[in-house]
Amino acid sequence: MTLTKFIIVLSHIPIFITALYAAFLYRSLGKALKRFSLFLFLSGIIQGISLAFWFLNKNNFPLLHIYIAIGFCILAWFYKTVLKGFINPKIINITIVIFLLFTLVNSLFFQTIFTFNSYALVLECILIIILSLSTYIFFINDIAMESRIENITSINWINSGLFIYNTSSLVIFYFGDYFTRHFPEYINRYTWVLHSFFSMVMYTFFYIGLWKRRRR
Amino acid sequence: METSSQISLLTALLPLIGVIFIIAVGVVILNQHFQKNLYRQKLQQEEIKNRHQQELLTSSILVQEQERKRIAQDIHDELGALLSISRMHLVQLEEKEINQGPHILPALQNIRSLTEKALGSMRKISHELMPPQLETFGLIKTLEAVAGHANKTGNIAICIDAADHFPELSWPFRLGLYRILMELINNTLKHAGADTINIELNYTNGIISCTYTDNGRGIQPGKSKNGLGLKSIEGRASSLGGNIHIGNEGERFRAIITIPNIE
Repeated sequence: MTLTKFIIVLSHIPIFITALYAAFLYRSLGKALKRFSLFLFLSGIIQGISLAFWFLNKNNFPLLHIYIAIGFCILAWFYKTVLKGFINPKIINITIVIFLLFTLVNSLFFQTIFTFNSYALVLECILIIILSLSTYIFFINDIAMESRIENITSINWINSGLFIYNTSSLVIFYFGDYFTRHFPEYINRYTWVLHSFFSMVMYTFFYIGLWKRRRR
Repeated sequence: METSSQISLLTALLPLIGVIFIIAVGVVILNQHFQKNLYRQKLQQEEIKNRHQQELLTSSILVQEQERKRIAQDIHDELGALLSISRMHLVQLEEKEINQGPHILPALQNIRSLTEKALGSMRKISHELMPPQLETFGLIKTLEAVAGHANKTGNIAICIDAADHFPELSWPFRLGLYRILMELINNTLKHAGADTINIELNYTNGIISCTYTDNGRGIQPGKSKNGLGLKSIEGRASSLGGNIHIGNEGERFRAIITIPNIE
């Protein structure tokens, strides 16, 4: 196993640990964190299967198509719960529907399920960045602080993790095509190592977020 | 080759600017949306806070009035009874003394006179604390009685002008309005140097409006508008769910009290 492969495999460990930790805590979690845990379970299962496919040298892109579609729905649902009372739920619902339609059309006609669905991934990153940045701004507000949003510290960590990962991923996925065409393969591999690093950072933030939850 | 690579990078970079622009616009729009909702929530919080303060004010006034009523009743029933009995005994002693010899009669008459004065003061204090006619005869009759007493002195003329269809108010409104008007009359007598007071009471579509005017000095600019008396009047009006506008009409003092939703 090369160092690059080792790092990519290693990057899955925080995912499994965080998913298991969320499963362990699930009953004691608040509403928002419970919904977020669903995303962690989805990540754990999909990443596990895709890792197995990767070892078996099978194409695991179909899993990515499912992961992106369902993953975004759960994250949007999570933000809808966090921002309840401050955001019109219709905005999130409409975003979910449009995103699902876009991924469906993309998977059927443009980037089929056996190819890398960078368009959907880029759109997901854009939407999550908008949501996470807005949540940051929202949390700064005094009234939001006074309204005692449950588990605000945990949500801040999770939001930070999502923001860091999606910002870096947006650049990596966006320039992915450019790198593939203009740089040698080993540099391309480094971009995936970089992606794995940010993934590890994100799941570490998620773990800290769960750790810092309000004890009942 | 280099130029082609530069163009390729440029074509990759240009849409990125579009992406960043979309993110920025998305964040700004969402932020505007949050601000609107946050402002709405802030208004709601303020409303709850105001309502809570109003409830506190109303309950504190209610407690104060109940306490006044109790004190007035105690003074009237207990102290009044004792003083009346004392007076009765003194009258009997005077009658005995007339038959037996007149040497302590002046002293007894003096004590009786003092007791009668005490009885008079006690009635006055008790009535001021809680006028009994307010409960029995209503606001207009009570105000007319107050005007009658004041007019007898010859120093001031109080004119009450109530609309024919002016309703019989429930106790909190009746008492609240009475206290406000008494405080205004008191202020006029103390500070205004007026010789006429006009009180107009109207009732239209469930709203009570009361206009109080006197022909005194009026409010001196920036001087007495923040006094304790006027604050108490404002507090009472607010506790009834109404408001009061105090100012001058020409040089005369004028206060307009409006109390909606009295049903």
